[in-house]
Amino acid sequence: MTHAEVNLDKGYAVVSLQGEIDLYSSPQARELILGCLEEGKPTLVDLSAVSYIDSSGVASLVEGLQKARANGLAFALIGVSEAAMNVLRLARLDTVFSIYSGIDACPAV
Amino acid sequence: MNSEPVTALQLERIRPSDLPAPPREALQVVQACSDPAIDNPQLAELIERLPKLSAELLRLSNSSFFALRSQVKSIAHAVSLLGHRNLRNLSLCLAMRDAVREDAIPGLDLAAFWEDALRRGVAARLLAAEVGLDGDEAFTVGLLQDFGLLIGFYLRPDRSHEWACLRPLDPDARLQAERTLFGMTHAQIGQELARQWALPDDLAEVIGLHHAPVMTDLEPHVQSLCRLAQSADWLAAVYTADDSRGVIRRCRELLLAGWGLDTAATDALLERINQVMAEAAQAMNLPIEHQTGLGEIMRAANLRLAEDNLSFQEMTLELERALDERNRFAVELERELTLAREVQCSLMPRREVPRGQVIGVNHSARRLSGDFYDYFPTRNEQVYFAIADVSGKGMNAALLMAKASSLFHCLGKVVLDPSVLLATLNREIAESTIRGMFVTMIIGIYDVHSGQGKLANAGHLPALQAGPDGALREFPAQAPPLGVLPEGRFPAVEFDLTAGELYLFTDGLIEAEVQGAPLELEGLAALIRRERHLELEQRLHRIMGAVIPASGSPRDDLTLLAVDLTTSE
Repeated sequence: MTHAEVNLDKGYAVVSLQGEIDLYSSPQARELILGCLEEGKPTLVDLSAVSYIDSSGVASLVEGLQKARANGLAFALIGVSEAAMNVLRLARLDTVFSIYSGIDACPAV
Repeated sequence: MNSEPVTALQLERIRPSDLPAPPREALQVVQACSDPAIDNPQLAELIERLPKLSAELLRLSNSSFFALRSQVKSIAHAVSLLGHRNLRNLSLCLAMRDAVREDAIPGLDLAAFWEDALRRGVAARLLAAEVGLDGDEAFTVGLLQDFGLLIGFYLRPDRSHEWACLRPLDPDARLQAERTLFGMTHAQIGQELARQWALPDDLAEVIGLHHAPVMTDLEPHVQSLCRLAQSADWLAAVYTADDSRGVIRRCRELLLAGWGLDTAATDALLERINQVMAEAAQAMNLPIEHQTGLGEIMRAANLRLAEDNLSFQEMTLELERALDERNRFAVELERELTLAREVQCSLMPRREVPRGQVIGVNHSARRLSGDFYDYFPTRNEQVYFAIADVSGKGMNAALLMAKASSLFHCLGKVVLDPSVLLATLNREIAESTIRGMFVTMIIGIYDVHSGQGKLANAGHLPALQAGPDGALREFPAQAPPLGVLPEGRFPAVEFDLTAGELYLFTDGLIEAEVQGAPLELEGLAALIRRERHLELEQRLHRIMGAVIPASGSPRDDLTLLAVDLTTSE
């Protein structure tokens, strides 16, 4: 992962991940995502700049989803890159996550 | 040490008026003692005219430090007991002690100077006794050997504050510092003083030359006094030098090489210096500070030894210890992992399947795999098979894999529908999964007679079925992986093994790099088509061989399972 940052937009915390999300970078992604949810914020993960994501990276997203559900918080993926989308689709995880083209397409919170 | 340029003293420029006034009366006694024409009564008469000197000589003669054979009641008695030479020496010591007044050198701790001088005298006396030389003469030499230093400060009182810097140095370093400070050493200054004050030649030589490295042109007696003075200098420095450890070591070397004394004798002598200091101070009427015991100094030195060595020896030791520990842990971990790997391998079957065969191959990137496959016959002539891949790698993946495989193996004996079985496994795994870990899995079941079966794919890569014409049919995931959400359906699709064998595999296989690029599904399909003429087991090994690097382990766990009905017929 070359970069990750958190912004606040439309009431969401937006975690933007970039580059490769693998065994080495996913712990940072996990920390950012869980950090937002622990603060009780509805959270979006922007995957538009993700060039590669492996199962440990997907696990970070899954954990975010599980935590959001447990805490009754909105959680969605936005701007999912083709590389990330292929992985999600292959595992049928596209049926599990709420996926929006961008923050403008997300329902207001 | 102050580094500002210092105008060096020049011996030829030291005028008598620059020096302290010579103690004329005492020097008169000194000269009389050296004069063979003067007999004992004449000498006693001379001394008795000097009440202060007389009183001090009597006190000295009766002191426990000088320990004469009997109590000395009169100067005449002292003269006869001490002899001219000792009387001369003692008179000189007393004269020199008073030659520089307390207030003559502002800023110099005169008491501390004399305390150090006294310690040199005591050291010289004790060493002399140890090696069979005259103790009283040695004391005089030891006491007066550094008198030149006092005169140096007398000549340059502006430098008196430097004394505090000189004192904790060892004798060699101090000599060097004196050269910087005065442009000459205390020995040179002392020698000049001895010349101007007309001190006896033998003493002047010792004062001037006790630091000279080679003294072959000196009389043997003066030579041994010089060596004695030098040794005494080092012995006394044990009690004043910062580097007491280094000075103690030097003392042991000096006394062994110069006087044949071993370490124990040297240490005993050092100890004795401390014990005798109080007596000597009383005898000489010099005030001294509380004396630090040798034991304390040794302990401090040993402490410093430990500190010094910590930088290297201790750190090396620590490092060796840490490496040993690491190696021990590594061996233990290796043993644990080997056992875990054995248990894991035991979870993957190698058993006969009635009518047809199922063959699996697994290579793990780490010793413990997050992949698994399994197959077993059920009680109604059916065969269950499964392949799974746990997210992540290593120990945590292996443990979740063990759970998933156990659930499959156990529940598969009673639940004969892949959809129901996957839904059951999903609930079990979702209930306890942590850190978002999940399991992608295909479960299939077929009838060993008809070859008809169905499989369900939960988030796993598609299964491939090879047709007779070489075309490959895909069975992609119809549901998300296990453990993501507790609810969900896992629809199954039907297959017919008579149409061709099934291949199930994990992502490690199709992501493996072959000739610089990932194999991908297409690459695997091409490999399957190319090797299809081979026996199933040989075919699987050929395919694996194509993707596993010749050296080293694969980057990811690789698992390939083939299910075939026809080959064993």
